[in-house]
Amino acid sequence: MRHRLALGMALVTVALLIGPAPSWAAGVLRIGQNASDVGSLDPHFATTTQDRSLVDMVFNGLVRYKPGDGSVFEPDLAQSIPTPQSTGGKQVWTFQLRKGVMCHPTDGVPSYELTSEDVVYSLQKSADKSRSAYAADYAGMAVEAPDASTVRITLDKALSPVLFLPKVANYSGGFILCKRAAEKLGANGLKTHPVGTGPFMFKAYVPQERVQLVASPAYFRGKPQLDGVDFRYMPDLSSRELALRGGQLDVANGVPDKAWVEKMKGVSGLKVDVFGVGEVAVLHFRTTASPLDKPDVRKAIAYALDRDEFLALVGRGIAENVYSPVPVRFLAGGLTKEEVAAKGLDYATDREKAKKLLAQAGFPNGFPLEMVTSEMTGYRILYESMQAQLAKVGITINLKVVDHSTMHSLIRKDANPMVIYIAWRPNADVYLTQFFHSDSIVVTGKKPNTNFAHYDKIDGLIEQARTETDAAKQVALWKEAQVKILEDMVAFPIQYQNQVYARSAAVDYGHDLVSVLALYPGITEKTRLVK
Amino acid sequence: MPKYIAQRLLLSVPVFLAVVTIVFLVVRVIPGDPATAALGDYASKEAVDALRERMGLNASLPVQYGRFLRDLVRGDLGMSMITGASIRDQIAHALPYTVELTAVSILIGCALGVPVGVYTAVRRNRLGDYVGRVLSLTGLSVPAFYFGILLILLLAIWLQWLPAVGGGASDDAVDRSRHLVLPALTLGLIMTASVARLARSAMLNVLAQDYVRTARAKGLRERAVRLRHALRSALVPIVSVTGIWAVSLIGDSVTVEVVFARPGLGKMMVGAILQRDYTALQSVMVVYTGFVVAINLATDLVYGWVDPRIRH
Amino acid sequence: MGRPADPALTSAPGGGRIGELGRLWRTFSRNRVAVLGLALVGLVAAASVGAPILTSRSPYEQRAQERLQVPGERHLLGQDTFGRDVLARILFAGRVSLLVGLGSVVLGGAIGCVMGLVAGYAGGYAENAIMRVVDVLMAFPSLLLGLTVLAVLGPGLGKMILAIGLVLAPAFARVMHGAALALQRREFVEAARSAGATTPRILGIHILPNVLGEIVVLASLWTASAIRVEANLSFIGLGVSPPTPTWGNMIRDGTPHLLNAPWLSVFPGLAILVTVLAFNLLGDGLRDVFDPRLRE
Repeated sequence: MRHRLALGMALVTVALLIGPAPSWAAGVLRIGQNASDVGSLDPHFATTTQDRSLVDMVFNGLVRYKPGDGSVFEPDLAQSIPTPQSTGGKQVWTFQLRKGVMCHPTDGVPSYELTSEDVVYSLQKSADKSRSAYAADYAGMAVEAPDASTVRITLDKALSPVLFLPKVANYSGGFILCKRAAEKLGANGLKTHPVGTGPFMFKAYVPQERVQLVASPAYFRGKPQLDGVDFRYMPDLSSRELALRGGQLDVANGVPDKAWVEKMKGVSGLKVDVFGVGEVAVLHFRTTASPLDKPDVRKAIAYALDRDEFLALVGRGIAENVYSPVPVRFLAGGLTKEEVAAKGLDYATDREKAKKLLAQAGFPNGFPLEMVTSEMTGYRILYESMQAQLAKVGITINLKVVDHSTMHSLIRKDANPMVIYIAWRPNADVYLTQFFHSDSIVVTGKKPNTNFAHYDKIDGLIEQARTETDAAKQVALWKEAQVKILEDMVAFPIQYQNQVYARSAAVDYGHDLVSVLALYPGITEKTRLVK
Repeated sequence: MPKYIAQRLLLSVPVFLAVVTIVFLVVRVIPGDPATAALGDYASKEAVDALRERMGLNASLPVQYGRFLRDLVRGDLGMSMITGASIRDQIAHALPYTVELTAVSILIGCALGVPVGVYTAVRRNRLGDYVGRVLSLTGLSVPAFYFGILLILLLAIWLQWLPAVGGGASDDAVDRSRHLVLPALTLGLIMTASVARLARSAMLNVLAQDYVRTARAKGLRERAVRLRHALRSALVPIVSVTGIWAVSLIGDSVTVEVVFARPGLGKMMVGAILQRDYTALQSVMVVYTGFVVAINLATDLVYGWVDPRIRH
Repeated sequence: MGRPADPALTSAPGGGRIGELGRLWRTFSRNRVAVLGLALVGLVAAASVGAPILTSRSPYEQRAQERLQVPGERHLLGQDTFGRDVLARILFAGRVSLLVGLGSVVLGGAIGCVMGLVAGYAGGYAENAIMRVVDVLMAFPSLLLGLTVLAVLGPGLGKMILAIGLVLAPAFARVMHGAALALQRREFVEAARSAGATTPRILGIHILPNVLGEIVVLASLWTASAIRVEANLSFIGLGVSPPTPTWGNMIRDGTPHLLNAPWLSVFPGLAILVTVLAFNLLGDGLRDVFDPRLRE
């Protein structure tokens, strides 16, 4: 008898466990992101995709990139986008703040109306390198508040709107914090407790599991249609995929892999979005160390590499070949395939020519190179494909796989003779400055950044373009700079990779998806779940 | 008995201290700069240096060791170098997932392993024995993470009975239990294999001994003989080795947590290794050490209970 | 008192004298389990060593246009994310696994046996010191220990062997210690000692051969463990560098494609299973051969 009872209980337990999954509160959007944990939710330190997407939902900028289309600016906290005035050689931008923008309430700091004081506090924080990762972008800029609803920004050197507006937009250093909450929480508190003015406000953070946001009823564009957002950290692709298929997620970060996209498109009830902005993968040569200090060796490598082979690993449409470091598809100042081909700088694959160039340079049998790659798939496939491709011309790459942040730290110490770097930057100036201006040279530069090539031949062009206020002339200068890069072959542009997200068909983002700087689909007050 | 327990407890202390010291040293020698890892792509050199100072990485090794022990005694495990979150909170969050996983797995292992072992011993060299032995050797040979992947393929992807990955919602008991089934089965069945194998050989040893024959000669029913006498004696080696398997199961739980993306200690540890989060890594190892010492202690106690001779 | 080791592993040493090789082989060849184990080990070894003969495909050649092809006539076990032949990679990966398995057991066995014998024979202070270190190391799950050591050493084949060897050493030491303790009280050792034999001579001539059978059994079983630990470490991502294939890293690289290309993970896993099983069977069979108590 006792046995039967036990057996019965066991069966009930099994039935309970195997039954359908419990349903969730309606109206909460559940997103699975490819990350294991929060990096920092202080918007001025949010550099990773998972952090950027969260702060995008919680904070605003003075202006914003139009949801779903990063090529258009709209007013955000400001009532309109001003035209700059120039006074005494300086450029002045005056913003009128929107009325009735409410800060999210937090422990000890009730909700209050955002004023110019908060904006000044935030932009000054952005410019302070101990409190911001983007301080360099805010040098030569003074911010003041003539009255509670006016913010005046004075630039030492005039900038074109293309270069200025990103500094005050809802991205990176442009995010506006609520001063009282930020000061109450302190630098450490902000890392895991963001307080802003956006459509969603912070509710809870469970390490390595989730961040929960709830709709802000007082949001100035109206109460969000969603009740909240449940942002889950799920670094494992199969777990995100299974959870999405099983209805435990509404949105999942996918992979830039056509095989995956095609498969998911075939699942009923699911949709896949492939959208910009495309992060650009560029191979940088360290031009100061043998054997890559010889231009012929670098050109040989460029001829030995086949963009289509890299592309096949990701899939056309998900990624596309690029021919200049600035992606012409998304930004002013890039070069098209036709433009580079006309100058003979497309470096179309020619392994015979590569071998000939190597022989000329004194390496008929190739040479070995030591380098590290991140364990992240996006990097690993490119490095491993390059390893196999260069083996065909006798160049042996001994590859060590390290953790992603370790790779970042090592390549900044010149560990790699060749660096593949995948990045999105908001405009051509940032791309060229960070990767090719001599100030940005790793280890030895004045402000070491990501100039892995140790290249110093286009400083003049970059600086000239930066202060050129005529858009057409500015673009021409940027193109000229990149032609020089390709002529000297200090960097070989490989491809850009789009963002891939899958969602349940019930999810309506509330906007079309063309390109989003925060590298996620963009969740706004208009996003909803259609039941 | 209390004296025996006290003695065992006391003996655990130096072992714990020794392992913790090894952990401290090992973690200090790991290459890679945690300050750079913590600040990410954009950090300036000054910011990295400042963080190194703040994290106490610039102090000498003995000073760091002294602080480490002091904090340990206070139960202060420090802040994560990556998120700045309290590691004690993180561990407090992760620990239940690992505890419930290992506890349920050990339970499955013992509950299935001992009967299977006794059965195969009694049916020695018959079909049941061969099948049982092949299965248990297979279980002993399969890496836990691979077995987990196979179970995911079978039960989560093809049959879609159970959720494949994740820990389940922390506030929903049913959801959590559903997420526990597959990983616990993975480790539990592997442990079943080991325990069954051991129980079989222990039973065979005992069954070959004289007093069992004597008992049988006295006319007791065979079944009763086996269960009462043989099992009682066989339990001694079974308990001691079950302890060893339980400890090795903790090792396997690391990869199983990775496969099932369970937010437990193992996942935290692998994350800490990959992120070069010194403080988190050393704290997780300390907790694991405590875990292992506790299991050894429990084994010793049960051992003392099943074999009264030990106590004296 | 420390916990006794698994009686299934450390049953009293039998009479494994060198001169009895013939008898041992006869016993061995009658033991079906042992023969099956040996045959499987031979098969795995032949497949990895003879990989270039068994397949015409390179484990490194990438064909990006054909990535993730299902198993078929041209590629028996399909193609991976780079379009490489999975079968060729599995065959070549066997070399790494066997090398790590055998290498780390030889290394760990050598270190451990010396530690254990010295401790057991010397006794006193040295014994205490050595065995306490062993206790501390044994208190730790081998995987956690391997993970920590490898995290310190960094990736690489040699480092992997070193890490796993260090992890295995204490286990060898503990068993050797026990065996040496038991043996040195036996008459023939005492006789040798009273006849004036030196310590190394007693260790080398009298004690070591007597525990040789047990060492062989342990070596076989722990080769199985070492291969499994290697697979675990590679799976976590701490193994050898690309493009060298190992079964563990093949499974790891296959997991993102578990839903659309399960063969990427399933086949290398089977290879691990068969190999580990082979060494376990062999070890099991050998124990039956060496241990008279368990013989029929």
